[in-house]
Amino acid sequence: MGFPQLQIAHIKPKVPIFQGGMGVGISLSSLAAAVANAGGVGIISGTGISTDEMREHIRKARELTKGIGYIGVNVLFAMKDFAEKMKAAMEEKVDFIISGAGFSRDMYAWGRTFGIPVISIVSSAKLARLAEKLGAAAVVVEGFEAGGHLGTDRPLFDILPEVIEAVQIPVIAAGGILTGEDLAKALQMGAVGVQMGTRFVASEECDAPLAFKQKYVDAQQEDTILVKTTVGLQGRAIKNHFTDLISGDQKVKIEKCLDCLKDCSYRFCTLDSLLKSVDGDVENGLVFAGSRVSEIKEILPVRQIIDNIMDEYNKTVEKIV
Amino acid sequence: MADDILERVKKIIIDRLGVDEAAIVETASFKEDLGADSLDVVELVMELEDEFDMEISDEDAEKITTVGDVVEYIKSRK
Repeated sequence: MGFPQLQIAHIKPKVPIFQGGMGVGISLSSLAAAVANAGGVGIISGTGISTDEMREHIRKARELTKGIGYIGVNVLFAMKDFAEKMKAAMEEKVDFIISGAGFSRDMYAWGRTFGIPVISIVSSAKLARLAEKLGAAAVVVEGFEAGGHLGTDRPLFDILPEVIEAVQIPVIAAGGILTGEDLAKALQMGAVGVQMGTRFVASEECDAPLAFKQKYVDAQQEDTILVKTTVGLQGRAIKNHFTDLISGDQKVKIEKCLDCLKDCSYRFCTLDSLLKSVDGDVENGLVFAGSRVSEIKEILPVRQIIDNIMDEYNKTVEKIV
Repeated sequence: MADDILERVKKIIIDRLGVDEAAIVETASFKEDLGADSLDVVELVMELEDEFDMEISDEDAEKITTVGDVVEYIKSRK
């Protein structure tokens, strides 16, 4: 397989594929460990679970990978417990921490204290430069094709060259990456790897319930929609009863407020809507997904997904040569 | 002393956000009145750190929303 070895600090995976952190409860120990065991890099989402639960998932992922695979933790910066979670993750000696949807400067200092690399998810060259200046080990550039909270309305392959031009640190491409051709294109443009979320949701090992995965498989083209969540950002989700409900300006009664966000608009409860969907109620909950979800036709084992991508990648590269 | 702080803060805001000096009043919100996005605010905070030789945590930075907040914050740290 002809591609340069991806290396970010001590992280040297066999395949240049990161599995994007997905909250709430979509990428936990099972998915992250499966990706790490298949040669990629797994990311546990610490968003919306307790700090103790997150610690348990980190330990479980270490067990499942026999301590060999690469496991990182992602926490949404907008959460009040962001600092507590990130510090706990570093105490558990994760391989790296990663965050987006808001910009933390403190996390670089924590990373230095703990000796753990920090990766930032960015959507512009400007933010990438700032992350590099503050000490990021790498940046993930995410385009508007991504699922979940978004930082831009521009396509990945428009932003990617600008970021590669702007920084010296490794750049990972994310948002709408599904196939080996996408990987080849990203690497050819100068990225060191890709991050994928949506494709890994429809995997056997993904921590989400079957109803959630099935929603991905059933999704048709034009089935994703942008909704403004109470975090204050647009988020891409699959259209359902809940997105219809919140598409206007109307408020949805909040059953119980956990006061989880630093700055909430209180129009509905984003956390509750995500907990509902991860509980299997994919009509009344929020089902985040990337723009190309309709191209996913089946739920596969993680190893199969990665093997397919590498096969496609090799075929694409052979064609070019 | 406070006036001096205000002058120094104003200069940074003018350089960073390219706004008219007259717009920089104590009640002016960076995001709503001075057209800053969240990244502009982060960069502004970093320049304040350099200018006033202090470290400002995420938590403190998040509380800074107006020009007056900046001046008050710097006074409280001096």
